[in-house]
Amino acid sequence: MTVTASAPTDAPKATQVLGIETSCDETAAAVVESGSVLRSSVVSSQVELHALYGGVVPEVASRAHLDLIIPVVSAALAEAGQQLTDIDAIAATHGPGLVGALLVGVSAAKSLALVCDVPFVAVNHLEAHLYAAFLEDADLQLPMLVLLVSGGHTMLVLMQGQLRYRVLGATLDDAAGEAFDKVARVIGLGYPGGPAIDRLSTQGDPCAVAFPRALAKQGWDFSFSGLKTAVANHVRKNPNVARADVAASFQEAVVEVLVEKARRAAREFGVGAICLAGGVAANSRLRARTAEVCAADGLRAVIPSRAMCTDNAAMVAAVGWHRLQACGSASLSTGASPSLSLLN
Amino acid sequence: MSTQPKQPKQPTQLMQPTPPTYSSPIILGIESATSRVGCAIGTPLGILAARESNKPRQHAESLVPQIAEILDEAALSFTDIDALAVDVGPGLYTGLRVGITTAITMAYALDKSLVALTSLELVAHAIRSPEHSYEQIDVVIDARRGEVFHAAFTSALKPISEATVAKPEDLAKKLAQEVPNTCLVGDGVEAYQAIFAQAGLSTNNATIYPSAETSVELAVAAVLANKTTEPAKVRPLYLRGPDAQPIVVPTRS
Ligand SMILES: [Zn+2]
Repeated sequence: MTVTASAPTDAPKATQVLGIETSCDETAAAVVESGSVLRSSVVSSQVELHALYGGVVPEVASRAHLDLIIPVVSAALAEAGQQLTDIDAIAATHGPGLVGALLVGVSAAKSLALVCDVPFVAVNHLEAHLYAAFLEDADLQLPMLVLLVSGGHTMLVLMQGQLRYRVLGATLDDAAGEAFDKVARVIGLGYPGGPAIDRLSTQGDPCAVAFPRALAKQGWDFSFSGLKTAVANHVRKNPNVARADVAASFQEAVVEVLVEKARRAAREFGVGAICLAGGVAANSRLRARTAEVCAADGLRAVIPSRAMCTDNAAMVAAVGWHRLQACGSASLSTGASPSLSLLN
Repeated sequence: MSTQPKQPKQPTQLMQPTPPTYSSPIILGIESATSRVGCAIGTPLGILAARESNKPRQHAESLVPQIAEILDEAALSFTDIDALAVDVGPGLYTGLRVGITTAITMAYALDKSLVALTSLELVAHAIRSPEHSYEQIDVVIDARRGEVFHAAFTSALKPISEATVAKPEDLAKKLAQEVPNTCLVGDGVEAYQAIFAQAGLSTNNATIYPSAETSVELAVAAVLANKTTEPAKVRPLYLRGPDAQPIVVPTRS
């Protein structure tokens, strides 16, 4: 099933969706045509702003979103070579995320929709991550298994069809990205922890320390809090341990659990492809190991570019198009839904 | 909103029989700095339509539908608007950001200019009792966390002081010493009534909130005097730095 082929055959004009994403610390806007053709994608990261505090500060994020929203939207339109009058619908993330941050994007999107007299579409951020891969390969076959791993979420999702999925498992405690940030702090690396551990691991031995692999062989849920504690204890007991070895061994443990579980699920549910999504999917070792395992098992590895894995608005516009076709527009009285979950 | 020309409906607040066209400029005002959220559309002749609601933490849900309603009621479309007005605070951060985001985004989309007004001047200008014999007007808005936002105006509504954030005790003491005969007004007076009364200040004025109607009135004058701002340059008046506590569970992805 291809995304483009499902567009109405009697519609000669392609639908241009402007997407807006402000759920955490990236202010982003993008224009996507018919759900999968990327016209532009602009992401203004606030990561340096939050690095000063060692983590995301909600009030700092909300303030930055307000300062950046107009410049980012106008840059996305300019990059797409379009005017607001060319846009057929406005989609924005309404959850999950930081409430004050979400409200900036939702308010901007509803305002544009009302002024331009086009539909407003409220998008679930997690669903948006599931659709990022389609922006680089519109012909992806479903069903496929998506490993959605980020700072706030760790999920194994069976994507059965367009807008149809089953959440097989999720983290019982820390998200994978959260574990990266916490371990980075323990071994004295800065924020954000993910890229720092990824870099340092290239100089370390992934087999140096046998950290625990919680739940690797049972069920579909994840747990990373024990691993994080094991790393902290190991560093306390061995103050002179090579940090690169700790980073590489920790990363190996996370990646092994994630990939083994996805591999088992692919076998059990008879799915032919494993897709990575979310900020942690930018991790080099996770990408390499997923490719290896898929090659060994005869599965297709769908590994989007790093820009599509981390937060962006193109994935929001893509889902916006699908939601608009399937459910129509959302009400202009939509607010933020900070703890929205991925519903089946 | 349709862009087709519409026949203006009867504006409710005109004293004379309705003229066939509206006077210019036509202003859309947006207010969201307090627990209330509202909007109004009007001209130099008066307010054509307005909405206000007082549902806590429902600013984003309420505002855009309210704007659609008042345009319908005034039988106007967005293209009829000459400028927008917005309260830039000080006020409650999240509400403020909803109103400012809405105002700057609409102004950007319409390629119109904005008039940025402070919540304190909006309250000062809403006082409608010319008979009062106060020396000055001190607007006090509840800033939560045991603080108030404050600015002083002459009885002719000229600003005397910059907007500041203060402890109500400190402000009460300072005013009691310097201008005991001041007109205290704003929801901060109500929130800390005992403190101001104890300092010997009069707290008998009815609570006045910044309103979208007042913002339209002030913006009409500002537009006629060419005192407008580009949407991308409008910034909230926070008066306090952000709480620098990173969230315990980072949710970045
Ligand atoms: Zn994300």
